[in-house]
Amino acid sequence: MSPAYALKRCGLIVYTLLVVSLIVFAITQVLPADAATMLLGENATAEALAAVRERLGLEAPVWLQYARWLGGVVQGDFGTSLRTGLPVAPLMMEALGRSLLLALLSILLMLAIAVPLGVIAAVRRGRAADLIVSVLSYVGVSLPEFVTATVFVLVLADWLQILPASGYVAPTQDPLRALQHLALPVLTVSVILVAHVSRMVRSELVDVLHSDYVRAARLKGMKPRTVLLRHGLRNALLPTITIVALDVGYLLGGVIVVEEIFAIPGIGRQLIVAIQARDLPAIQAGALIMAATYSVANFAADLAYAWLDKRIQYD
Amino acid sequence: MNGFPQIDRRRLLAAGTAGLGLLALPQGLRAATPKRGGTLRVGVDQSVAKINPTIVRVNPEYLVAELLYSSLTRLGYDMSAEPDLASAWTNSPDLTEWTFTLRPNLTFHDGSACTAADVVATFEALLDPATGSPARPNIGPITRITARDATTVVFTLSAPYADLPVALANPNAKIIPAAIAKGGLDRLNREAVGTGPFKLVTFEPERIIVVARNPAYYDPARPVVDKVEVVVYPDMTAQGSALISSDIDLMYMVAPTEYARLQKASGVTALRVPSGQFCNINMACDQKPFNDVRVRQALALTLDRAALVDFVAEGFGTPGWDSPLNSAYRFNTALTPKKADIAKARKLLADAGHPKGLEATLIASDSPATRTQLGVAVREMAKAAGFTINVQTMPHSTYLDQVWKKGAFYVGFYNQQPTADGIFSLLYTSNAAWNETRWNNTAFDKLVGEARTTVDEARRRALYAEAQQLMYDEVPSIIPVFFDLLGAHRSYVEGYRLHPRGAVFRLDQVGFGDGAPRRG
Repeated sequence: MSPAYALKRCGLIVYTLLVVSLIVFAITQVLPADAATMLLGENATAEALAAVRERLGLEAPVWLQYARWLGGVVQGDFGTSLRTGLPVAPLMMEALGRSLLLALLSILLMLAIAVPLGVIAAVRRGRAADLIVSVLSYVGVSLPEFVTATVFVLVLADWLQILPASGYVAPTQDPLRALQHLALPVLTVSVILVAHVSRMVRSELVDVLHSDYVRAARLKGMKPRTVLLRHGLRNALLPTITIVALDVGYLLGGVIVVEEIFAIPGIGRQLIVAIQARDLPAIQAGALIMAATYSVANFAADLAYAWLDKRIQYD
Repeated sequence: MNGFPQIDRRRLLAAGTAGLGLLALPQGLRAATPKRGGTLRVGVDQSVAKINPTIVRVNPEYLVAELLYSSLTRLGYDMSAEPDLASAWTNSPDLTEWTFTLRPNLTFHDGSACTAADVVATFEALLDPATGSPARPNIGPITRITARDATTVVFTLSAPYADLPVALANPNAKIIPAAIAKGGLDRLNREAVGTGPFKLVTFEPERIIVVARNPAYYDPARPVVDKVEVVVYPDMTAQGSALISSDIDLMYMVAPTEYARLQKASGVTALRVPSGQFCNINMACDQKPFNDVRVRQALALTLDRAALVDFVAEGFGTPGWDSPLNSAYRFNTALTPKKADIAKARKLLADAGHPKGLEATLIASDSPATRTQLGVAVREMAKAAGFTINVQTMPHSTYLDQVWKKGAFYVGFYNQQPTADGIFSLLYTSNAAWNETRWNNTAFDKLVGEARTTVDEARRRALYAEAQQLMYDEVPSIIPVFFDLLGAHRSYVEGYRLHPRGAVFRLDQVGFGDGAPRRG
């Protein structure tokens, strides 16, 4: 990859984020009710509304509000939450950290389950094992998150009482309890994701196992196991990178239901709460973080492709 | 054979895979006195976005504010005013001047003294519109607050007001240091400088709030526990599971749909208290067709209220008879139950000039969901009498912005107020803060106005009885269902009692009995 290309991609990411911020800003202006209305709720009198709008700077023209916000962001200041009165950036970054932890552990567990399942299904293609793996992984991906999560809570927390039902403990505070509390959400999310990768591994591996170089390796007299792992799986795993990159994006914000049920104050939940409160600075920061994660994960996947497969070139 | 179509990376991206998609102590210490010490874990259903007591607005925020701050008075379980920071109070015979005496030697969490000057500054801040405090319209007709000496505060009112001691128990009327009240209220967004039973340890709005015993609290007997952790569980079912598995000790609120499960769980005590919280149908009494009292009476006659309690409140409630008072209020009067009478409703509707029936759009916000349930039930029940009601639901923010106080026909939902005057002059008098029915009945205004300026209990009771009868007869709003408040705690928790008002918690009285887990 040429440096010019990398620069171009980075420029594109910045451009994307700018467009996202403009769209988010425009949409929040169109929504009925503003932060002052939501802050005062049913206690809003005209006088109180005016006073609060003045204090929050909502009386300024829209373009000026946007310019002020953008000016702050350029200097690294994402503003103060209209809902809590606290700076937005630290809260959002903490939320992102929690979501990232959940995402990372979920993806690791998912890969540990999905890759072997995909291999078994490919090797035993058309037989009972293949069918069982297909059905199970499709059940995982088709059940709504709240059903999967609730079933896990009922069985593992309510009946067997081996794991805490809900709640988040920071790993810095108590690593063991943190892992216990993360177990159920990680399990839930992995189950949802397994099908993405196991199906991909299966189909890729089936293709690869039919290729000439695998046939050549077999004819050479290599052990079937070596052929499968060294020549088959290694090549079949490449597209998995794309899926994982997409899943990272999905996990940061897309698993709001799981975050709600397990009381993990992740980025998705922060964003929903912010939208309900018409908390513009928080909405902007949340949307930007999510857009940035997508862009960066995607870029990283492209880089990984080129690094793993020398035939792929970007320019 | 390829069992899965070959996926092109870009196409996959374009397809957009990602979906963004208490049985309380005051009535004499009960048999087992809770042991002192321990950490109490309380679950709440929403984030505690604000700890600044002047602007807190939802129950979890009230709960935390009550741990950290104190008011002059507090609201008892019987809706009467009890001493808090003020140990006693007196009033002038005409009820326009009230004198409150503070306890001696009160201190804030930072060690500074809490005196009458702090009380004055607090109320001045609450009454300043720029503070944006929800308390401002609800703490009585105060015109002036003065500090007579270090422990005496005098409130001067623009009109006689018998309920001032109760009004001052408002959850926002927490006493804060004068220096902060006079500029720098924003400081309270992240720290707490109160006189409450607990001091703030950590504050993470979306996750957990930890408070620890305030050794300088004015009552050495309280709080009972050393520490309280308020944990946010946005999902009610998950919160119930956390209680069942003893991750938390107490839920101040339980959804009706969760109640049965918690009742059955071992080691859990489920709580229930009747409350004045209600869901109602508001009709604009100044516009056709609801300006005709017969139309309102006809609609009220179509309802089977017992069935509504089952359907809307899942059975956890009591029927209402179109007066906003019920047994949870001090001046409630027993009204004759209204039975559904479709024939009479039809006749009233015909007399009002709608022999062929009437069509109307009823708006219900989506929060809480009971609003829509009531709307749908009323639609079905009113059909037989010739009402064609279209129920339209909308997001709560849109409802607040476009329908509430403006619409002609919509579903309301209100919490119990501390006093009869509180609810009447909030919603139903001509000068009500939220005069959403525009009933504007002078006889009713006179009754409520007189009761407000009367000290004699029996006389007040008689006046409020008449006011309730007037609403019963003229139906400015249909109030068919009151909700019970539901809660639950581990059976080892002692000293907790549900408060009918919903916004009072008294966790300072709660402690642990036998079988409680040991926590750091």
